[in-house]
Amino acid sequence: MTTWDETQPILEIENLSISFFTRLREIPAVMDFSCRVMKGEAMGLVGESGCGKSTVALAVMRDLGVNGRIVGGTIKFKGRDLTAMNQEELRQIRGSEIAMIYQEPMASLNPAMKIGDQLAEVPMIHQKMPKSQARALARQLIADVRLPDPDRILDAYPHQLSGGQQQRIVIAMALMSKPALLILDEPTTALDVTVEAGIVDLVNDLAAKYGTSMLFISHNLGLVMEVCDRITVMYSGEAVETGNITDVFDRMRHPYTQALFRSIPLPSADKSSRPLKAIPGNFPLPHERPRGCNFGPRCEYFQKGRCDATEIPMAPVEGDTRHDSRCLRFDEIDWHAPIAAGVQHDSSHIGEVVLSMENVRKYYEVAASSLFKGGDTKVVKANETLSFDAREGETLAIVGESGCGKSTFAKVLMGLETATDGQIMLFDENVQSTPIQHRNTDTVSSLQMVFQNPFDTLNPSMTVGRQIVRALEIFGVGASDAERQQRMLELLDLVKLPREFATRMPRQLSGGQKQRVGIARAFAGNAKVVIADEPVSALDVSVQAAVTELLMDIQRKNRTTLLFISHDLSIVRYLSDRVLVMYLGHVVELGTTDQVFAPPYHPYTEALLSAVPIADTRIEKKRIVLEGDIPSAMNPPPGCPFQTRCRWKSQVPGGICETEMPPLRDLGAGHQVKCHLSAEILADMEPVFTVAAE
Amino acid sequence: MEPLSWFEILARIAQQLLPVWVALVLTYALSIRFKRRFGLYGKLFDSTVGMIGFGIVMFWLFVALFANFIVTHDSLSQVSGMRNAVPGSALRDPRDLYPYYLLGGDSLARDVFSRMVMGAREVLRIAPFAAMISFMIGITLGLPAGYFAGKLDTGLTFLANLVLAFPVILLFFLLVAPEIQDTPIPRVMAGILFLVPILFITVLLNARFFTQPAKRNLYVGIVLAVGAWAYLGLVFNADPVGLWSMSPNLLNVFVAVVFVNAPTVFRIVRGITLDIKTRDYVAAAQTRGEGPWYIMLWEILPNARGPLIVDFCLRIGYTTILLGTLGFFGLGVSPESPDWGSTINAGRRLLTVYPHPALVPALSLMSLVLGLNLLADGLREESLRD
Repeated sequence: MTTWDETQPILEIENLSISFFTRLREIPAVMDFSCRVMKGEAMGLVGESGCGKSTVALAVMRDLGVNGRIVGGTIKFKGRDLTAMNQEELRQIRGSEIAMIYQEPMASLNPAMKIGDQLAEVPMIHQKMPKSQARALARQLIADVRLPDPDRILDAYPHQLSGGQQQRIVIAMALMSKPALLILDEPTTALDVTVEAGIVDLVNDLAAKYGTSMLFISHNLGLVMEVCDRITVMYSGEAVETGNITDVFDRMRHPYTQALFRSIPLPSADKSSRPLKAIPGNFPLPHERPRGCNFGPRCEYFQKGRCDATEIPMAPVEGDTRHDSRCLRFDEIDWHAPIAAGVQHDSSHIGEVVLSMENVRKYYEVAASSLFKGGDTKVVKANETLSFDAREGETLAIVGESGCGKSTFAKVLMGLETATDGQIMLFDENVQSTPIQHRNTDTVSSLQMVFQNPFDTLNPSMTVGRQIVRALEIFGVGASDAERQQRMLELLDLVKLPREFATRMPRQLSGGQKQRVGIARAFAGNAKVVIADEPVSALDVSVQAAVTELLMDIQRKNRTTLLFISHDLSIVRYLSDRVLVMYLGHVVELGTTDQVFAPPYHPYTEALLSAVPIADTRIEKKRIVLEGDIPSAMNPPPGCPFQTRCRWKSQVPGGICETEMPPLRDLGAGHQVKCHLSAEILADMEPVFTVAAE
Repeated sequence: MEPLSWFEILARIAQQLLPVWVALVLTYALSIRFKRRFGLYGKLFDSTVGMIGFGIVMFWLFVALFANFIVTHDSLSQVSGMRNAVPGSALRDPRDLYPYYLLGGDSLARDVFSRMVMGAREVLRIAPFAAMISFMIGITLGLPAGYFAGKLDTGLTFLANLVLAFPVILLFFLLVAPEIQDTPIPRVMAGILFLVPILFITVLLNARFFTQPAKRNLYVGIVLAVGAWAYLGLVFNADPVGLWSMSPNLLNVFVAVVFVNAPTVFRIVRGITLDIKTRDYVAAAQTRGEGPWYIMLWEILPNARGPLIVDFCLRIGYTTILLGTLGFFGLGVSPESPDWGSTINAGRRLLTVYPHPALVPALSLMSLVLGLNLLADGLREESLRD
């Protein structure tokens, strides 16, 4: 290591190819992948699921499992070739010079070991540090990752910490031996946005403090922009474009990168005038990749006989430093051509009130023990005084982080649970205390739901067609089997799936296709109100756009009321007419999309907006990082639910935030905010986003 | 006559099993030829493990089916001078009998080979059926326990634990005790036991077809008619046609097998149900207003099949061994029954001197259980693949 020169790259991957060997065939996972990470540099690896980005990370750790093998190329770490090392040498490097942080924090921590012992283990093994010294170092790092009360944390078990705290511990553990390279594999995907913002901030600061290089793997372009200096975009096992963040974001030179940017809801997108543009087609399976350019079949600049003729090498882009693209035609394409305006839609007309909730509450009683009644019962206030209307043809977004009560709200509305108090009117019918078994078929079929997890939404042992037909049977659609069969095929047309899919099993479908079937099933009985519970959050960005557009299309056609539950504010801003922000079971802000996304904000909305990563270099954002975690609904703070994390609390005289629940105030034009802040302070709030002058 | 050499013994056994070979070859030829049309059964022929397992199971099934053509002697008749005869021994005075005891004779001078063949018939007649009834009871109780949870679950789980904690041997003694045999308890138990499958299938079909009353009435009607007919015969021994009947001893076997197996099946099903009921497709069924039994039987149960199929195959093996244990108490099958469990038990006493009377059924049992396991593995593997 003494021979290593600081001006040389820390990590240099050259022409790396990785294959997985199964009984049937060799499956190439990564082909001809090259990248260089310099000291102190953060490299972002972006791509859709299955593009091989995690495989690259595992190859750097030389942890490809039994079936995976590096079939070509080199991985040089500080000038030494990792592919030629034996297990003993690798053990020296792993965890001490290269550390990895995984997606699921709980899975990275040993649940049976105290935090302090787990952290101290690292330097004790790698540097033979005495235990007392190692624990002191652990304590210092816990303070470094900004966890309160390090002494308590040292003695805690992982399950006693929240997800965000756990991920901070994992980061602390990775930094224990001051690694030269940190690999982060989707480190914040399992966390809420406000918690994510905190972690991103932390990672940035720590990298600057320790001078660590990073390989940051993510599917979220906005997040990569906030963390990284350089970016490599991967598609189907190949790096398609690499360069500095600003070069790639502003002067992209690969059609896939461009298509990716056009499919994410940037603040400039608008559902009526500039709709999202989904990438047509599907991701190729690893053993069915096309000849020539992998992206060819889905590329709008594709030229037959040229793009599918030979393997395409990476070529440097003139004028930029270290900016390469794997496209034959990148200097022919007019990259500034305006986006071909798709079908323009008028903003849909919003009709009568179809659903109205008034002061709905839902409390759960949690008994101390389920076997023997008695003892302390605790009350979980999942929903508190929810009041709002939803109109025909309207999209109402319900936004909030996990634990804010949005799923409970959906359950109450669907009738899976009954409300503790309050009124729910659905088409002039009181349904608040009618569980779903007692609702009539009409009510049930007009109020349907689209679920979050595409891999869970369909019964894996029933054909797609059968599942839709079943919904038709239950809703009493069609008089005979043949009629229902016909209607099922029409529903498949509606969600733009080929009719052959009727006989397929769900496991033969991709995530986006399954989600379409879920939508078809929800619309089987001509639903009037559809609750979409994070319908696209588990999908890849290019598919997200397509599914979102589909929902919008159906809504325009059927004049459906869409209740769109989400934590992703970019997509909410793109498609919703009105937004309802929830925190700890309370509605904290309610208004039209423009009202909610512009000042005055509720302090929580402001923080939420600032936490959302935006993949646009022109937008400048105020960084507001919330301290701490969401309080438990079992034990909510007194007064305003948000007071424990609010940065505006000092502006309210008399400390009433801590004692009094703020009323829901109307700021005019139906914009309601639950906050004690005076009208003047609210009016003085600055916008979170500003578009930088070009 | 000289005793046969091992090679001759194997050749003669293979010759006796000729109908089995023919049937196996036919089955495989047809199945592989048309495997794309048979769904999961056809997919089984894509997996080597599954094919081997299926082959072994089918082998025993055909042995049981063609037992009458395969046996060389009557499984109960004794031939003088053949007590504990070694495999391949020639009969002293064959007359019109088959001239050899291919796998030797047992302590009562009966032909071990013929008993093994007839034993296959006994085993395959009782074990799968008994295991199936245990499964239906376990499933019928396990699904609601897991799905509704709460007090019902607490109660049923407690009951299952109670049965599991009850000493099985004591239970067997109680079942054979004349004081119990004379009471209506065995009949009542049988009444409940055989009622469950009928209810199970009725509910299953009703939940699926209640939206189409005509179809529902037809299917449920057929099930109820056949069910009532079988029920009359099995429980009250009053089948007018005489097709269904069951000796009181066999009834005891069923009661015992169900008592031993059902609580375990209950726990497996309950556990899987607790997991599967949190899936979105269950929520989707709830939000379109499906009844609880449809959700349990059509949304949850099919997705629990993996572990259940594997466990079912294993449990047929256990049941076979259990039959032997029960025979030890003079329970269930008649003392001279050729079923493998009882035969192993009978051969146990002279095991060190004459191993073959016990070894032959033991190996048969082992191969059947192995075949069932391989089949289960193959089914599980292929059902998850495209």
